[in-house]
Amino acid sequence: MKDLVIKGKWLRRELVILAVLFLAAIITNVIGIVKHDTRWIEMLSQLHVVLILTLILYVLLWLVRLIIYAIMLPFRKKK
Amino acid sequence: MTYKQSRRIFLQKTALLTGGLFLGSHFPDIKALANVPADVSSNVKLGVIGTGSRGQYLMTHINLIPGIEIVAVCDNYQPNLDIGVEMTAGKAEAYTDYRQLIEKKNIDGVIIATPLHLHAVMSIDSLKAGLHVFCEKAMAKTPGECLAMYNAQMETGKILLIGHQRMFNPRYLKAFEMINRGQLGDITQIRAYWHRNNDWRRTVPEPGLERTINWRLYWDYSEGLMTELGSHQIQVANFIKKDFPRKVMGTGSINYWHDGREVFDNVNMVYEYPDGSSLIYDSMISNAHYGYEEQIMGPKGTMELEVGRMYSENPPPAPGILQLLNNIEHKIFDPLPLGGKSWIPETAVKEKGEYIYEVDLEDDGTALEMEGFAQMIRENRHSDILLREAYYAAIAALLGNEAIRKGEMITFPEEYIL
Repeated sequence: MKDLVIKGKWLRRELVILAVLFLAAIITNVIGIVKHDTRWIEMLSQLHVVLILTLILYVLLWLVRLIIYAIMLPFRKKK
Repeated sequence: MTYKQSRRIFLQKTALLTGGLFLGSHFPDIKALANVPADVSSNVKLGVIGTGSRGQYLMTHINLIPGIEIVAVCDNYQPNLDIGVEMTAGKAEAYTDYRQLIEKKNIDGVIIATPLHLHAVMSIDSLKAGLHVFCEKAMAKTPGECLAMYNAQMETGKILLIGHQRMFNPRYLKAFEMINRGQLGDITQIRAYWHRNNDWRRTVPEPGLERTINWRLYWDYSEGLMTELGSHQIQVANFIKKDFPRKVMGTGSINYWHDGREVFDNVNMVYEYPDGSSLIYDSMISNAHYGYEEQIMGPKGTMELEVGRMYSENPPPAPGILQLLNNIEHKIFDPLPLGGKSWIPETAVKEKGEYIYEVDLEDDGTALEMEGFAQMIRENRHSDILLREAYYAAIAALLGNEAIRKGEMITFPEEYIL
């Protein structure tokens, strides 16, 4: 069986993407609170929703990247 | 959950409740029961008259409660009498005639779990024999018998408690207090129903015993669904309204179980209270989808007492982020309206509501009621409030049947107002 090698560069990139998506989810929460005039305690109480939203966005981004990768595959030069 | 745990929770929760205005001022009996731990140093000695299915159910609960001893059992059907004796590990004396049992010197009170038509005569005889009485609901088979039972209690001063166990159920007590505090606003309508899908029959070993065993199905012994099921829920409605209905109309028939029975297999009633609010009640035994429920409605909210939930008319808004995501989802997936919405379907509100009482007790109040009865005997303290509740619930149930039979609206007779 072939070993799976996770490179430091790849890991850093994914963590940065996750952090950006987490930030986006927090901003979504802030917009939701402001727009619907709800309580600021929801910054904490709805943290679970923020985390779930982060994961959903991450999975969606993975799908987008996978589709782009699949489309680009025939155009990639063979090494 | 064991009985001990149930009782501990009952004491804790009800002691809190009784701090409130409602139970403190209107329900001194339950307050006393909740705040005074049962004195089990002296056994309360009881006789059980009627050891059929309901009698056995009560005995099962009594056997879990310290400080109550069943010393005599009575039934005129030998198999049930044998079971009754067996449930006391052979300790109880067996009788086939209740008149012999109530002459027994060493008993404090009796539990009567016989067919409805026997409640009045057995209760009155027992009270006059100097015994305290717990009688299963409904109170009696006619309004006149109910009044005679009430008067017998007044004359003898002995305890007469009727088996409306919801009065001892902490979930109901909590709900009563919340309603009394105005959390639903003025109660404008109560809807209650009890639906089953079975023939309501018991197995009969020989045809000659049909009417003895299936007494619920025949007018000579029973008033059918209204007294066997409806009286419980009418009692709850009366307690919430702190009043009793003055008018009733309704319909009933045998529309499914055409098997020789006499009592209705469906009843559909409207009761009106003096303030113009109503109790809409129905019971049927050909569909069990909706089960049973009491829905208490006011301008501020709704309570469903059997499932123990409260639904506000103006629930707090969902968190901002969920509203935002919900809006986005609707914008993406909902069809585009042509010319805007001119009609919104007024289907039931889909709201989960809140629990009235967070503890899920296995006991429906029966064990606590049995313990309450024993405690009342120890303290020699009758509850007129509970007896009046049972009295008006029974008469309202009976008037319901009268309204069905006559096909007209019946007004609560003046001579039965206490």
